Amino acid sequence: MESLLLVKDVEKKYGKDANTFKALEHISFEIDHGEFVGIMGPSGAGKSTLLNVLATIDTPTTGDIYIGKDNIAKMKEEKLADFRRDHLGFIFQDYNLLDSLTVRENILLPLAIAKIKPEEIAKRVDEIAGTFGISDLLNKYPYQISGGQKQRTAASRALISNPKIIFADEPTGALDSKSATDLLESMSSLNEKHETTIMMVTHDAYAASFCRRILFIKDGRLSKEIFRGSKTRKEFFQMILDELAQMGGDVNDVI
Amino acid sequence: MTLFELALKNIRRNMKSYSLYIGSTVFSILIYFTFATLKYSEDISGMAETSKQIKGIMGASAFVLMIFVAIFILYSNSFFMKKRKKEVALYSLLGVRKKSIGFLLFFENMVIGLVSLGIGVVLGFLLSRMLLTILLKLMGLDIVAGFAFSMNALINTCIVFFIIFLFTSLMGHRIIYRFKLIDLFHAEKKGENVPKARVITAVLGVASLAIAYYLALQDLTESQVWRVFGLATPIVIIAFTVLGSYLLFHSVLVYVLSALKGNARWAWKGLHMMTASQLLYRIRGNAKTLTLITILSATTITSGGAVFGVYYNAEKNVREYTPYTFMWEGEKQAIDTSIIESEITFYSKMIRVALDKYEMEYVVIDEATFGKLAKDLGWSDIQKLRQNEVFAIDAFFDERWSEKLDSVTINKVEFPVAKFYDKVLFNVETLGGNAIVVPEQLYDEIKSDETLIQAVKVTNYKNQSAVSDRLAASTENFSSATADYKNTIESLGALLFVGSFLGLVFLVATGSIIFFKMMTEAEEDKAKYAILHKIGVSKKDMNRTIRGQVGVIFTVPLVLGLIHGGVALVAVSNMFMMDFLVPVVIWMLAYTMIYAMYYFATVRSFIKTIRRGYLEG
Repeated sequence: MESLLLVKDVEKKYGKDANTFKALEHISFEIDHGEFVGIMGPSGAGKSTLLNVLATIDTPTTGDIYIGKDNIAKMKEEKLADFRRDHLGFIFQDYNLLDSLTVRENILLPLAIAKIKPEEIAKRVDEIAGTFGISDLLNKYPYQISGGQKQRTAASRALISNPKIIFADEPTGALDSKSATDLLESMSSLNEKHETTIMMVTHDAYAASFCRRILFIKDGRLSKEIFRGSKTRKEFFQMILDELAQMGGDVNDVI
Repeated sequence: MTLFELALKNIRRNMKSYSLYIGSTVFSILIYFTFATLKYSEDISGMAETSKQIKGIMGASAFVLMIFVAIFILYSNSFFMKKRKKEVALYSLLGVRKKSIGFLLFFENMVIGLVSLGIGVVLGFLLSRMLLTILLKLMGLDIVAGFAFSMNALINTCIVFFIIFLFTSLMGHRIIYRFKLIDLFHAEKKGENVPKARVITAVLGVASLAIAYYLALQDLTESQVWRVFGLATPIVIIAFTVLGSYLLFHSVLVYVLSALKGNARWAWKGLHMMTASQLLYRIRGNAKTLTLITILSATTITSGGAVFGVYYNAEKNVREYTPYTFMWEGEKQAIDTSIIESEITFYSKMIRVALDKYEMEYVVIDEATFGKLAKDLGWSDIQKLRQNEVFAIDAFFDERWSEKLDSVTINKVEFPVAKFYDKVLFNVETLGGNAIVVPEQLYDEIKSDETLIQAVKVTNYKNQSAVSDRLAASTENFSSATADYKNTIESLGALLFVGSFLGLVFLVATGSIIFFKMMTEAEEDKAKYAILHKIGVSKKDMNRTIRGQVGVIFTVPLVLGLIHGGVALVAVSNMFMMDFLVPVVIWMLAYTMIYAMYYFATVRSFIKTIRRGYLEG
């Protein structure tokens, strides 16, 4: 089977000449349809840069990125916007909700932009709001709801257009443990039941333990890859902690 | 580090965000000082001696201007402070005492004020020289603008702005004491509650506008209202207009936007709901701004329209009663042939014609003369006289009270009037407005003294004062379009001057206010558009939303301002008994065009700011 996301020798440089700083070096990997992949690493390792590059928000200096058959590293800005709209979903640490829109309007925004019919939109909003348990909040404004509810709203928005792949950047970073668990469980069940492909950047081992596979990144390079396989979540969590301890130095930063 | 050094450093470091505020402050001072200089200028006051009215107009305008600059500065100051609340919170968090922070802000604001005062005065001095030269030229006065630096203007400006700065500084100082630390941190984030449309506000708004319009359209001489309120009437009218506009924006706009947003068919299509909610979200702030812009637009349209109308009518009035540049009785005079456009010499007689109730004196000319004159004036409906027919001309003809001449009796024979012209054929001052055109044969039969008349048209008639003065001294029954025009313009000089100045100021100010406001919104909206960019909204869609958002802020007050201005101009034209339709329409079109240019400039900068926002973020 052809992989959903194919990253080939991606490099991202900042600055010029002597001051060049390589945020990413020789990154290559694949993600298949229906995977739930975590990306971990200490601060400054290049996690967010990688996510931004994959999510077409930033462009790589060299290398190719295929999502399906499209090479997004070579796309023009206008086409990229359409591509993001049609095929990608985003969940950010700081929610990125529009505070002048209600929860309902925030969720349906991607569909409205794609010019879907209002009846269809209404149906899909109700469905997804049910999945994330925010049906009662649809007419509220973001400043009236809690952080966890905001993040579930953001997740609903990311999923409503049935994207090929969801990019989540530290989605639990600003949440308390209860809300974080709720969100992670919803994501995990979406992944299992609907085969939604998710790629999540995190430095929280607990959040990472919900993934099926984890890529570790250090100093801009992929350093290791571990699979959950048939292990329980708790066993996997321990595995991740061990791995982080081995990577040394920056453990404080991780736990 | 002393507090003074900290304040100075603060300004130097944040030059970028300060520059907008300093810019608007300098602009206000510049405008006010320029006007004050002109007000105290001896050239103007020399003119003002001729009329107390002019002094009154200048004084009232200075007052309007003062109110305006005060509002403008308060406005930019509040924007500025909102941006800086976080910085203040940071100081507070680091343990700087409230007293010290308050003092810092007070101090800083005073420093900005004094610096802008210096810059504004210097620029204002240069600008006032330039403006005075232009305006004197516009008024047709050949005075060289060589006025000196006016101490009075400086003192006046300093006092006014010192008070304004003191006030804004105190306001800044007060903010520290009024808010809690937690509020200060959230100052920028705090979402306004979404307003609800109330029918009662809409009704009140419409009612106050109706009252204002009703009052404005009262006849000055007969109205009871004017008797009751006296000279305060304009203020009452303005107050009602402001109130009405505000309520209207507050209610109607909210209603329309809510309805649009609630309509899924419209709102859930592209970014429509984004546009609507952006506007709705800031409606309270917007209602104030829109009102201000409406009033400024209305003022600009009214003052500009009135001035342009009077100017336009001045020429038309002169043309209407003095079609020939010069006309006099007697022999030809030497005039430089290079400036002569046409020159006609003719004879005329006088007869008395008995009408129903009284006798009228008419100038009589023969058909050949009529032909020459009418052709020279470009008349298109010149007919041929048949035997025993005459033409009649009445330059003052008005259906409401003039009598149309059907026939005239000359030498006891009645001649029917074949054609009646209600246009002017020669300068009214020399020959009067009534004339009868008769066949050559009849002309010869009329027993009356014949007068020799000279009619001359010259090029560039407005600037032929020298020729006009020479002819006036050497001829009899002299009339001159040059002199008439000059007299009209001079008597309207102060009005023209004040009107065009205020028009100019308000035009610039209106544009700047919207521009400032939209730029501030652009800064605030950066994050929102960055989100849109991330979730895959194309540049085209975003630009469309921006155009819509900015467009509403521009269009709505313009439309209401045009209506206000229209009503005000009807009132003014009634007062002056002049027909303003053509000049006012031209002026409104011109205003809308300039306004549209501001719109495009604003959209451009808005898009630029947003783009920079998401490309960097």
